[in-house]
Amino acid sequence: MVKEELIKQLSTILTEEQVNTDKDALYDAAADRYKKYAKARKVLNVPTPIAIVYPKDTEEVRKLLMFCNANRVNVIPRGGKTATEGGLENWKDTTIVIDALHLDEIIKIDTYNSQATVQAGVALQTLEDELQRVGYTTGHSPQSKPVAKYGGLVATRSIGQLSTLYGGIEDMVVGLECVFPDGHVSRIKNVPRRAGGPDIRHIAIGNEGTLCYITEVTVKIFRHYPENNRFLGYLVKDVASGIKVLREVMVNGFRPSVARTYSEEDAAQHFYHFHENKCVLLFMAEGPKGIVDATVTAIEDAVKKYHEGIIKQVDSTLIETWFNQLNWSQQDIDDEFLGMIDHDSHSGFTTEISADWETIPKIYHNVIKRIRKEFPRVQDLTMLGGHSSHSYLNGTNMYFVYNYKILCEPEDELIIYHHPLQRIIVEETLKMGGSMCHHHGIGKYRSEWTKDEHGSAYYMLEKLKEAFDPNGIMNYGTIFPQEEGLKYIE
Amino acid sequence: MRIVCVVKFVPDVDNFTYNYETHTIEREHSPMLINPDDARALGFALTMKKREPQTCIEVVTMAPRSVIPQLEDILRLGFDSATLISDQLFAGSDTYVTSKLLSSVIRKIPYDCILSGTHAIDGDTSHVPSQIAQSLDLDHLNFIHHIEEERFTCSSAVVEVEGESSYTTFEIALPALLSLTRESAYRLPYVRYKNLNLDVSERLHILTNEQLGFDPAEVGLSGSRTQVVSTHTKEHMTRRKKVVKSDDEGIEVIYTFLKSNGFI
Ligand SMILES: Cc1cc2nc3c(=O)[nH]c(=O)nc-3n(C[C@H](O)[C@H](O)[C@H](O)COP(=O)(O)OP(=O)(O)OC[C@H]3O[C@@H](n4cnc5c(N)ncnc54)[C@H](O)[C@@H]3O)c2cc1C
Repeated sequence: MVKEELIKQLSTILTEEQVNTDKDALYDAAADRYKKYAKARKVLNVPTPIAIVYPKDTEEVRKLLMFCNANRVNVIPRGGKTATEGGLENWKDTTIVIDALHLDEIIKIDTYNSQATVQAGVALQTLEDELQRVGYTTGHSPQSKPVAKYGGLVATRSIGQLSTLYGGIEDMVVGLECVFPDGHVSRIKNVPRRAGGPDIRHIAIGNEGTLCYITEVTVKIFRHYPENNRFLGYLVKDVASGIKVLREVMVNGFRPSVARTYSEEDAAQHFYHFHENKCVLLFMAEGPKGIVDATVTAIEDAVKKYHEGIIKQVDSTLIETWFNQLNWSQQDIDDEFLGMIDHDSHSGFTTEISADWETIPKIYHNVIKRIRKEFPRVQDLTMLGGHSSHSYLNGTNMYFVYNYKILCEPEDELIIYHHPLQRIIVEETLKMGGSMCHHHGIGKYRSEWTKDEHGSAYYMLEKLKEAFDPNGIMNYGTIFPQEEGLKYIE
Repeated sequence: MRIVCVVKFVPDVDNFTYNYETHTIEREHSPMLINPDDARALGFALTMKKREPQTCIEVVTMAPRSVIPQLEDILRLGFDSATLISDQLFAGSDTYVTSKLLSSVIRKIPYDCILSGTHAIDGDTSHVPSQIAQSLDLDHLNFIHHIEEERFTCSSAVVEVEGESSYTTFEIALPALLSLTRESAYRLPYVRYKNLNLDVSERLHILTNEQLGFDPAEVGLSGSRTQVVSTHTKEHMTRRKKVVKSDDEGIEVIYTFLKSNGFI
């Protein structure tokens, strides 16, 4: 079917107002923040989708998917558009974007059973604001909280800044509803726990739009005690010293909501007011007062135990004010984009990995060493560092952060700067047995390593794709490596 | 159409390594870059080549051999050839000798137009373009900030020149020497990724005095008609640093500073 005919058909499945073919909107839909610089400079090298559609309910999503499946039209599910790894980038000539704009209802807030049900297009901040009104919180606080929506948050296996206490999104999702390309609608029921075979929630959670479209989610909600929040911060000798203290607190059984260690360089860009060119270790404890007090005591004990790595304690109000300004609003995202249109030739990227306690300092060391030695444009880097911001009983993550002056044409920015840097981080991580993707998802550009990431377990992932999306219409190029897509990478 | 671009390489003044103890610039640690005005001339030439692919652009420079990587990058952008005049004998040449050497080379190249920058950010005498025009018997216009692309032909060009308080448009017969300013909009692009390692050695020509055949007394310091009596760098002022907190007092300090300096 030709493009015009497909668009006509879409308008019969939905209404005309629900089908957007505006040129600028389609250009915007061709890529996400991964190619933000090329996009701002209007030199994107990927095709634009043929339409963006806005279904109003699950039934409309079902009809759209069946139509696309029958006509082999690529589908990109879309939520808050904060994807950072190319999950929203289009690699097919015939693609439609299914946007959750009108799936925006908070269906139920059930404080007695500590759960809330929302449609995929509800922004996290919207639910959070509603919950705080009744003394509850989602416990989910990614920096993109004001903009990201529930469908996207679940589809990417996102994680928030308070994860050490509340967990990642996978720990919060109780049940959900999703639609498969053949039109089948699955509802996974909301129970506290069950042993009914494998946990099928995890087929939808983290699928990045490659297996199904998530239409509805039920998440846990938590009593909120903001009045008890306490903050602690320290200057520490090096990354390894900070990580030692994080580990001590975690393995002793305590769960501060925020537990982080910043490298000198990363600390300098976050804590200009007190960093003294040192690494920074910081915590936030929250919850009922008794738990907060016990957590603070445990942190202080850990700091005492590893005192040789601690330089000094910093004023806790400095940590609190910093933390309260960390989130990005839509305005911040738009400002960054506008800045890149004509005068800014500076960019920054992050790559987030994870590994056990023993391995993470080694990966950090190896990556920094290799970048300084091997990266041909090392002189253009204006920042290279990282922080650990999500800790677990058996390990932690490392969020590598790098900024650079862009001294090349916008079309070449990724291939000259971000890709070689990301390659070093991914290679060093996989070599040491860590995971190359702690929380942004694989997206399109890391799909080159999906098989290395999963090893022999890739078999299971591949079978899921074959079973649920046999025609390969769901988000082509994301998670699952595609040779044809290499032309957009190299 | 055939264009010759005369280019100078200058120390990167923004990235000078400055020794605050001896108050000198450590030149050996300072990278060289294309003089900004000259980069505009190159940018314009490339724009014309994009419009008219049969346009042939030859780049001519006099510089130490250390600029070869930069010249190779210029060639990787699509310039047809580059000539580097480089010889130990030429070291210390003043603007007069430099113009003489450059003219002797350009004279042998067929051209419809010569492009250059107006000023160089290091010496800033602006002698060289005028002296080249003089020795080649060409008309010369300085301070050009715009050239009409559609009316740029083998026989004439229409250019806009920036004066102190106005812009004047001239139509000038070609061949002539046209000098651009860095305020003009012609940007020199970066080398594309796929061309970063392109072999351009065949298009790069290095000329020494062996080929040019000047009497050593005519070039370098000995041939120069001007001598530098002394040179010194400007005193760098150390700015006072004040760290304030993000509280009312801090905000007040910053507000007063911005206001008293006319920023708000
Ligand atoms: C400033 C900023 C800060 C960030 N901070 C964090 C952070 O702290 N933690 C974190 O985890 N991430 C963070 N991210 C990444 C991003 O916010 C998350 O990945 C988020 O979960 C994406 O949600 P979204 O609604 O914006 O999804 P989108 O960007 O719209 O989509 C993301 C992916 O999910 C798929 N998808 C979207 N909706 C659906 C659906 N209904 N069904 C199936 N698939 C779907 C898309 O196809 C795409 O592959 C940040 C991003 C930005 C820009």
